[in-house]
Amino acid sequence: MYKQIRIAAAAASLVIAAGCAHAGASAEQKAYDAALVATSAAADKAKSVNGEWRDIRWKKSKINLMKKAATAAKAGDFAKAMSLLKEAKFRAEMGYQQAMEQKNAGPHH
Amino acid sequence: MKKLLTIALSAGLLIGATTSMASPEKDLADLKSHFKSKFPSLDLNDFVNGPYALNEDKRINWEGIEEFPPYEEFVEVGEELYNKPFKNGKGFASCFGDDPSAVRVKYPHWDNKAKKVITLEASINKCLKDNGEKPYKWKKGNIAFVSGYLGYAARGQKVDVKVPKEALGAYKEGRAFWYGKRGQLNLSCGDCHVYNAGNFVRGNVLSPLYGQATHFPVYRGKWGKKKAANGMGTLHRRYGGCNKQVRARPLKAQGKAYSNLEYFHQAMSNGLEINAPGYRE
Repeated sequence: MYKQIRIAAAAASLVIAAGCAHAGASAEQKAYDAALVATSAAADKAKSVNGEWRDIRWKKSKINLMKKAATAAKAGDFAKAMSLLKEAKFRAEMGYQQAMEQKNAGPHH
Repeated sequence: MKKLLTIALSAGLLIGATTSMASPEKDLADLKSHFKSKFPSLDLNDFVNGPYALNEDKRINWEGIEEFPPYEEFVEVGEELYNKPFKNGKGFASCFGDDPSAVRVKYPHWDNKAKKVITLEASINKCLKDNGEKPYKWKKGNIAFVSGYLGYAARGQKVDVKVPKEALGAYKEGRAFWYGKRGQLNLSCGDCHVYNAGNFVRGNVLSPLYGQATHFPVYRGKWGKKKAANGMGTLHRRYGGCNKQVRARPLKAQGKAYSNLEYFHQAMSNGLEINAPGYRE
Protein backbone atom coordinates (compact mmCIF):
# COMPACT_ATOMS: atom_id res chain seq x y z
CA MET A 1 0.00 0.00 0.00
CA TYR A 2 2.78 2.37 1.05
CA LYS A 3 4.59 1.58 -2.20
CA GLN A 4 1.46 2.32 -4.24
CA ILE A 5 1.06 5.69 -2.55
CA ARG A 6 4.67 6.55 -3.33
CA ILE A 7 4.23 5.63 -7.01
CA ALA A 8 1.01 7.61 -7.27
CA ALA A 9 2.64 10.62 -5.61
CA ALA A 10 5.62 10.42 -7.96
CA ALA A 11 3.34 10.15 -10.96
CA ALA A 12 1.26 13.09 -9.72
CA SER A 13 4.32 15.26 -9.23
CA LEU A 14 5.52 14.39 -12.72
CA VAL A 15 2.18 15.40 -14.18
CA ILE A 16 2.18 18.66 -12.20
CA ALA A 17 5.76 19.42 -13.19
CA ALA A 18 5.03 18.74 -16.84
CA GLY A 19 1.91 20.90 -16.66
CA CYS A 20 3.84 23.80 -15.14
CA ALA A 21 6.55 23.47 -17.75
CA HIS A 22 3.97 23.54 -20.54
CA ALA A 23 2.23 26.58 -19.11
CA GLY A 24 5.60 28.33 -18.87
CA ALA A 25 6.53 27.43 -22.45
CA SER A 26 3.23 28.76 -23.70
CA ALA A 27 3.83 32.13 -22.11
CA GLU A 28 7.32 32.23 -23.58
CA GLN A 29 6.02 31.08 -26.92
CA LYS A 30 3.44 33.86 -26.90
CA ALA A 31 6.08 36.45 -26.09
CA TYR A 32 8.29 35.04 -28.84
CA ASP A 33 5.44 35.12 -31.37
CA ALA A 34 4.70 38.74 -30.53
CA ALA A 35 8.37 39.69 -30.83
CA LEU A 36 8.56 37.87 -34.15
CA VAL A 37 5.65 39.86 -35.54
CA ALA A 38 7.17 43.14 -34.34
CA THR A 39 10.61 42.27 -35.77
CA SER A 40 9.16 41.21 -39.12
CA ALA A 41 7.22 44.48 -39.30
CA ALA A 42 10.36 46.48 -38.54
CA ALA A 43 12.30 44.56 -41.20
CA ASP A 44 9.50 45.09 -43.74
CA LYS A 45 9.54 48.81 -42.98
CA ALA A 46 13.31 48.96 -43.58
CA LYS A 47 12.95 46.93 -46.78
CA SER A 48 10.26 49.30 -48.08
CA VAL A 49 12.89 52.06 -48.25
CA ASN A 50 15.71 49.75 -49.48
CA GLY A 51 17.32 50.04 -46.07
CA GLU A 52 17.27 46.48 -44.77
CA TRP A 53 20.56 45.24 -43.40
CA ARG A 54 22.12 41.95 -44.45
CA ASP A 55 21.94 39.79 -41.36
CA ILE A 56 18.39 40.33 -40.19
CA ARG A 57 16.66 37.63 -42.26
CA TRP A 58 18.27 37.44 -45.71
CA LYS A 59 18.33 33.77 -46.62
CA LYS A 60 21.91 33.85 -47.92
CA SER A 61 23.24 35.49 -44.77
CA LYS A 62 25.40 33.16 -42.68
CA ILE A 63 24.27 35.04 -39.58
CA ASN A 64 20.52 35.41 -40.30
CA LEU A 65 19.37 36.46 -36.84
CA MET A 66 15.69 35.67 -37.33
CA LYS A 67 16.45 32.19 -38.60
CA LYS A 68 18.70 31.58 -35.61
CA ALA A 69 15.95 32.87 -33.33
CA ALA A 70 13.47 30.42 -34.87
CA THR A 71 15.90 27.54 -34.33
CA ALA A 72 16.44 28.54 -30.70
CA ALA A 73 12.69 28.85 -30.09
CA LYS A 74 12.10 25.45 -31.63
CA ALA A 75 14.67 24.00 -29.25
CA GLY A 76 12.89 25.68 -26.32
CA ASP A 77 15.65 28.23 -25.70
CA PHE A 78 13.37 31.25 -25.60
CA ALA A 79 15.87 33.45 -23.80
CA LYS A 80 18.29 33.09 -26.72
CA ALA A 81 15.49 33.47 -29.27
CA MET A 82 14.23 36.69 -27.70
CA SER A 83 17.74 38.10 -27.49
CA LEU A 84 18.32 37.39 -31.19
CA LEU A 85 15.01 38.96 -32.16
CA LYS A 86 15.82 42.03 -30.08
CA GLU A 87 19.07 42.43 -32.01
CA ALA A 88 17.32 41.84 -35.35
CA LYS A 89 14.65 44.44 -34.54
CA PHE A 90 17.26 46.97 -33.50
CA ARG A 91 19.12 46.48 -36.79
CA ALA A 92 15.90 46.79 -38.75
CA GLU A 93 15.07 50.08 -37.04
CA MET A 94 18.58 51.39 -37.60
CA GLY A 95 18.40 50.39 -41.29
CA TYR A 96 15.17 52.33 -41.71
CA GLN A 97 16.55 55.37 -39.90
CA GLN A 98 19.73 55.25 -41.98
CA ALA A 99 17.81 55.04 -45.27
CA MET A 100 15.63 58.00 -44.32
CA GLU A 101 18.59 60.11 -43.28
CA GLN A 102 20.51 59.27 -46.46
CA LYS A 103 17.74 59.55 -49.03
CA ASN A 104 19.03 62.87 -50.37
CA ALA A 105 22.73 62.10 -50.02
CA GLY A 106 25.14 63.72 -52.42
CA PRO A 107 28.86 64.32 -52.90
CA HIS A 108 30.87 66.44 -50.50
CA HIS A 109 34.07 66.94 -52.44
CA MET B 1 20.30 93.83 -38.61
CA LYS B 2 17.47 93.36 -41.09
CA LYS B 3 19.94 93.85 -43.91
CA LEU B 4 22.28 91.23 -42.45
CA LEU B 5 19.42 88.80 -42.10
CA THR B 6 18.41 89.36 -45.72
CA ILE B 7 21.98 88.74 -46.89
CA ALA B 8 22.24 85.57 -44.78
CA LEU B 9 18.92 84.29 -46.08
CA SER B 10 19.89 85.05 -49.67
CA ALA B 11 23.18 83.23 -49.20
CA GLY B 12 21.27 80.28 -47.78
CA LEU B 13 18.87 80.28 -50.71
CA LEU B 14 21.79 80.49 -53.11
CA ILE B 15 23.44 77.44 -51.52
CA GLY B 16 20.13 75.59 -51.63
CA ALA B 17 19.64 76.54 -55.25
CA THR B 18 23.15 75.36 -56.15
CA THR B 19 22.47 71.98 -54.53
CA SER B 20 19.15 71.51 -56.29
CA MET B 21 20.67 72.61 -59.59
CA ALA B 22 23.31 69.84 -59.44
CA SER B 23 23.30 68.41 -62.96
CA PRO B 24 24.94 65.34 -64.51
CA GLU B 25 27.35 67.64 -66.33
CA LYS B 26 28.31 69.48 -63.16
CA ASP B 27 28.60 66.24 -61.20
CA LEU B 28 30.95 64.84 -63.82
CA ALA B 29 33.02 68.03 -63.95
CA ASP B 30 33.32 68.04 -60.14
CA LEU B 31 34.25 64.37 -60.14
CA LYS B 32 36.95 64.84 -62.76
CA SER B 33 38.37 67.75 -60.84
CA HIS B 34 38.31 65.72 -57.60
CA PHE B 35 40.26 62.85 -59.17
CA LYS B 36 42.58 65.17 -61.05
CA SER B 37 43.62 66.77 -57.79
CA LYS B 38 43.78 63.40 -56.00
CA PHE B 39 45.93 61.79 -58.69
CA PRO B 40 47.64 64.71 -60.47
CA SER B 41 50.11 62.56 -62.41
CA LEU B 42 47.36 60.47 -64.02
CA ASP B 43 45.81 61.19 -67.41
CA LEU B 44 42.02 61.17 -67.10
CA ASN B 45 41.77 58.46 -69.77
CA ASP B 46 43.83 56.13 -67.56
CA PHE B 47 40.93 55.88 -65.11
CA VAL B 48 39.26 53.24 -67.30
CA ASN B 49 41.85 50.83 -65.90
CA GLY B 50 40.60 51.38 -62.37
CA PRO B 51 42.91 50.15 -59.62
CA TYR B 52 45.54 49.16 -62.18
CA ALA B 53 46.02 52.79 -63.06
CA LEU B 54 46.64 53.59 -59.41
CA ASN B 55 49.01 50.85 -58.28
CA GLU B 56 52.12 49.75 -60.14
CA ASP B 57 52.37 46.22 -58.67
CA LYS B 58 48.73 45.47 -59.40
CA ARG B 59 49.16 46.86 -62.89
CA ILE B 60 52.06 44.55 -63.73
CA ASN B 61 50.08 41.54 -62.57
CA TRP B 62 46.99 42.65 -64.52
CA GLU B 63 48.98 43.22 -67.71
CA GLY B 64 50.23 39.65 -67.44
CA ILE B 65 46.67 38.33 -67.13
CA GLU B 66 45.50 40.46 -70.06
CA GLU B 67 47.99 38.67 -72.33
CA PHE B 68 45.66 35.66 -72.27
CA PRO B 69 42.47 37.23 -70.94
CA PRO B 70 40.19 34.76 -69.14
CA TYR B 71 37.08 36.50 -70.52
CA GLU B 72 38.00 35.87 -74.16
CA GLU B 73 36.36 32.45 -74.45
CA PHE B 74 33.16 33.82 -72.93
CA VAL B 75 33.07 36.71 -75.37
CA GLU B 76 33.14 34.03 -78.07
CA VAL B 77 30.27 32.19 -76.39
CA GLY B 78 28.42 35.51 -76.28
CA GLU B 79 28.99 36.03 -79.97
CA GLU B 80 27.63 32.56 -80.74
CA LEU B 81 24.57 33.18 -78.61
CA TYR B 82 24.03 36.57 -80.22
CA ASN B 83 24.12 35.12 -83.71
CA LYS B 84 22.13 31.97 -82.96
CA PRO B 85 18.66 32.22 -84.50
CA PHE B 86 15.66 32.05 -82.17
CA LYS B 87 13.02 29.33 -82.64
CA ASN B 88 10.96 31.83 -84.63
CA GLY B 89 13.84 32.37 -87.04
CA LYS B 90 14.66 35.86 -85.81
CA GLY B 91 17.67 36.76 -83.71
CA PHE B 92 19.10 39.45 -81.46
CA ALA B 93 19.75 41.57 -84.55
CA SER B 94 15.98 41.91 -84.96
CA CYS B 95 15.98 43.84 -81.67
CA PHE B 96 19.36 45.56 -81.75
CA GLY B 97 20.06 46.13 -85.44
CA ASP B 98 22.67 44.71 -87.77
CA ASP B 99 25.71 46.33 -86.20
CA PRO B 100 26.61 44.76 -82.83
CA SER B 101 29.27 47.43 -82.26
CA ALA B 102 26.57 50.09 -82.15
CA VAL B 103 24.55 48.53 -79.33
CA ARG B 104 26.45 49.06 -76.08
CA VAL B 105 26.84 52.83 -76.50
CA LYS B 106 23.07 53.27 -76.42
CA TYR B 107 22.81 51.93 -72.87
CA PRO B 108 21.70 52.66 -70.27
CA HIS B 109 19.09 55.10 -71.52
CA TRP B 110 15.88 56.69 -70.37
CA ASP B 111 12.69 55.35 -71.95
CA ASN B 112 10.21 58.18 -71.89
CA LYS B 113 7.29 55.90 -72.71
CA ALA B 114 8.02 53.35 -69.99
CA LYS B 115 9.23 56.15 -67.68
CA LYS B 116 12.23 54.16 -66.56
CA VAL B 117 15.89 53.46 -67.14
CA ILE B 118 16.57 50.69 -69.63
CA THR B 119 19.80 48.76 -69.24
CA LEU B 120 21.53 46.62 -71.86
CA GLU B 121 20.82 43.44 -69.88
CA ALA B 122 17.14 44.34 -69.55
CA SER B 123 16.95 44.78 -73.32
CA ILE B 124 18.69 41.45 -73.97
CA ASN B 125 16.11 39.64 -71.87
CA LYS B 126 13.23 41.65 -73.32
CA CYS B 127 14.38 40.63 -76.80
CA LEU B 128 14.41 36.97 -75.78
CA LYS B 129 10.98 37.21 -74.15
CA ASP B 130 9.42 39.11 -77.06
CA ASN B 131 10.59 36.34 -79.36
CA GLY B 132 9.24 33.50 -77.26
CA GLU B 133 12.60 32.54 -75.80
CA LYS B 134 13.36 31.92 -72.14
CA PRO B 135 15.07 34.97 -70.60
CA TYR B 136 18.55 34.52 -69.11
CA LYS B 137 19.28 34.76 -65.40
CA TRP B 138 20.22 38.33 -64.50
CA LYS B 139 23.66 38.27 -62.95
CA LYS B 140 25.95 35.74 -64.60
CA GLY B 141 26.12 33.15 -67.35
CA ASN B 142 24.60 33.82 -70.77
CA ILE B 143 23.49 37.36 -69.97
CA ALA B 144 27.04 38.33 -69.09
CA PHE B 145 28.41 36.52 -72.15
CA VAL B 146 26.09 38.33 -74.60
CA SER B 147 26.57 41.65 -72.83
CA GLY B 148 30.32 40.99 -72.79
CA TYR B 149 30.32 40.35 -76.51
CA LEU B 150 28.43 43.60 -77.15
CA GLY B 151 30.85 45.44 -74.89
CA TYR B 152 33.81 43.92 -76.70
CA ALA B 153 32.32 44.90 -80.07
CA ALA B 154 31.97 48.48 -78.81
CA ARG B 155 35.52 48.78 -77.48
CA GLY B 156 37.10 52.12 -78.19
CA GLN B 157 33.81 54.00 -78.47
CA LYS B 158 32.99 56.49 -75.79
CA VAL B 159 30.43 56.19 -73.03
CA ASP B 160 27.67 58.67 -73.79
CA VAL B 161 24.82 58.41 -71.33
CA LYS B 162 22.22 61.06 -71.98
CA VAL B 163 20.10 62.37 -69.15
CA PRO B 164 17.11 64.29 -70.52
CA LYS B 165 15.05 66.55 -68.27
CA GLU B 166 12.44 63.81 -67.77
CA ALA B 167 15.11 61.41 -66.48
CA LEU B 168 16.58 63.71 -63.84
CA GLY B 169 14.52 62.06 -61.10
CA ALA B 170 15.96 58.62 -61.92
CA TYR B 171 19.45 60.10 -62.19
CA LYS B 172 19.11 61.79 -58.80
CA GLU B 173 17.83 58.58 -57.21
CA GLY B 174 20.86 56.75 -58.57
CA ARG B 175 23.14 59.52 -57.31
CA ALA B 176 21.56 59.44 -53.84
CA PHE B 177 21.99 55.65 -53.77
CA TRP B 178 25.66 56.04 -54.67
CA TYR B 179 26.38 58.62 -52.00
CA GLY B 180 23.98 57.26 -49.37
CA LYS B 181 25.48 55.29 -46.52
CA ARG B 182 24.11 51.78 -46.26
CA GLY B 183 24.30 48.64 -44.23
CA GLN B 184 25.59 47.92 -40.79
CA LEU B 185 29.02 49.29 -41.70
CA ASN B 186 27.41 52.63 -42.61
CA LEU B 187 29.44 53.03 -45.80
CA SER B 188 28.41 54.52 -49.12
CA CYS B 189 29.69 53.53 -52.56
CA GLY B 190 31.26 56.99 -52.61
CA ASP B 191 33.09 56.47 -49.32
CA CYS B 192 35.17 53.76 -50.98
CA HIS B 193 35.21 54.71 -54.65
CA VAL B 194 35.34 58.51 -54.48
CA TYR B 195 36.96 59.55 -51.21
CA ASN B 196 39.17 56.50 -50.66
CA ALA B 197 39.92 55.44 -54.23
CA GLY B 198 43.50 54.23 -54.46
CA ASN B 199 43.61 53.14 -50.82
CA PHE B 200 43.85 49.50 -49.83
CA VAL B 201 41.03 47.43 -48.36
CA ARG B 202 42.88 44.34 -47.20
CA GLY B 203 44.80 43.30 -50.33
CA ASN B 204 42.59 45.19 -52.79
CA VAL B 205 43.03 48.68 -54.18
CA LEU B 206 39.76 50.63 -54.24
CA SER B 207 38.90 51.65 -57.78
CA PRO B 208 37.73 55.18 -58.65
CA LEU B 209 34.13 55.95 -59.67
CA TYR B 210 35.38 57.81 -62.74
CA GLY B 211 35.95 55.13 -65.38
CA GLN B 212 34.59 52.35 -63.20
CA ALA B 213 31.63 51.30 -65.35
CA THR B 214 33.46 51.23 -68.69
CA HIS B 215 34.69 47.65 -68.32
CA PHE B 216 31.42 45.95 -67.35
CA PRO B 217 30.45 43.17 -67.62
CA VAL B 218 33.58 42.05 -65.92
CA TYR B 219 35.53 38.85 -65.40
CA ARG B 220 36.50 38.63 -61.74
CA GLY B 221 39.14 36.18 -60.62
CA LYS B 222 37.26 35.80 -57.35
CA TRP B 223 34.05 34.81 -59.11
CA GLY B 224 35.80 32.42 -61.47
CA LYS B 225 37.76 30.56 -58.80
CA LYS B 226 35.57 27.44 -58.71
CA LYS B 227 34.18 27.58 -62.23
CA ALA B 228 35.64 29.82 -64.92
CA ALA B 229 32.26 30.51 -66.55
CA ASN B 230 31.02 32.03 -63.28
CA GLY B 231 33.80 34.59 -63.50
CA MET B 232 31.78 36.78 -65.86
CA GLY B 233 29.22 38.99 -64.16
CA THR B 234 27.08 42.01 -64.74
CA LEU B 235 27.24 45.38 -63.03
CA HIS B 236 24.17 44.50 -60.96
CA ARG B 237 25.88 41.36 -59.70
CA ARG B 238 28.71 43.57 -58.51
CA TYR B 239 26.28 45.99 -56.85
CA GLY B 240 24.84 43.08 -54.89
CA GLY B 241 28.32 42.04 -53.80
CA CYS B 242 29.24 45.56 -52.71
CA ASN B 243 26.03 45.94 -50.74
CA LYS B 244 26.65 42.60 -49.08
CA GLN B 245 30.16 43.70 -48.09
CA VAL B 246 28.83 46.73 -46.20
CA ARG B 247 26.28 44.39 -44.60
CA ALA B 248 23.26 45.70 -46.44
CA ARG B 249 20.77 43.29 -47.94
CA PRO B 250 21.42 43.19 -51.70
CA LEU B 251 18.57 44.46 -53.86
CA LYS B 252 17.02 42.82 -56.88
CA ALA B 253 19.21 42.82 -59.99
CA GLN B 254 17.59 44.94 -62.71
CA GLY B 255 15.13 46.40 -60.20
CA LYS B 256 14.46 50.13 -60.16
CA ALA B 257 17.07 51.00 -57.52
CA TYR B 258 20.01 49.27 -59.23
CA SER B 259 18.92 50.43 -62.70
CA ASN B 260 18.87 54.05 -61.52
CA LEU B 261 22.19 53.49 -59.82
CA GLU B 262 23.63 52.17 -63.08
CA TYR B 263 22.28 55.24 -64.88
CA PHE B 264 24.21 57.55 -62.56
CA HIS B 265 27.22 55.23 -62.45
CA GLN B 266 27.60 55.01 -66.23
CA ALA B 267 26.96 58.74 -66.68
CA MET B 268 29.96 59.37 -64.43
CA SER B 269 32.14 57.73 -67.10
CA ASN B 270 30.83 59.84 -69.98
CA GLY B 271 33.52 60.63 -72.50
CA LEU B 272 35.70 57.65 -71.55
CA GLU B 273 36.38 54.69 -73.80
CA ILE B 274 34.43 51.47 -73.37
CA ASN B 275 36.87 48.66 -72.55
CA ALA B 276 34.45 45.85 -71.68
CA PRO B 277 34.76 43.19 -70.65
CA GLY B 278 37.57 43.87 -68.23
CA TYR B 279 39.47 41.66 -65.83
CA ARG B 280 39.47 42.45 -62.14
CA GLU B 281 40.78 40.51 -59.15
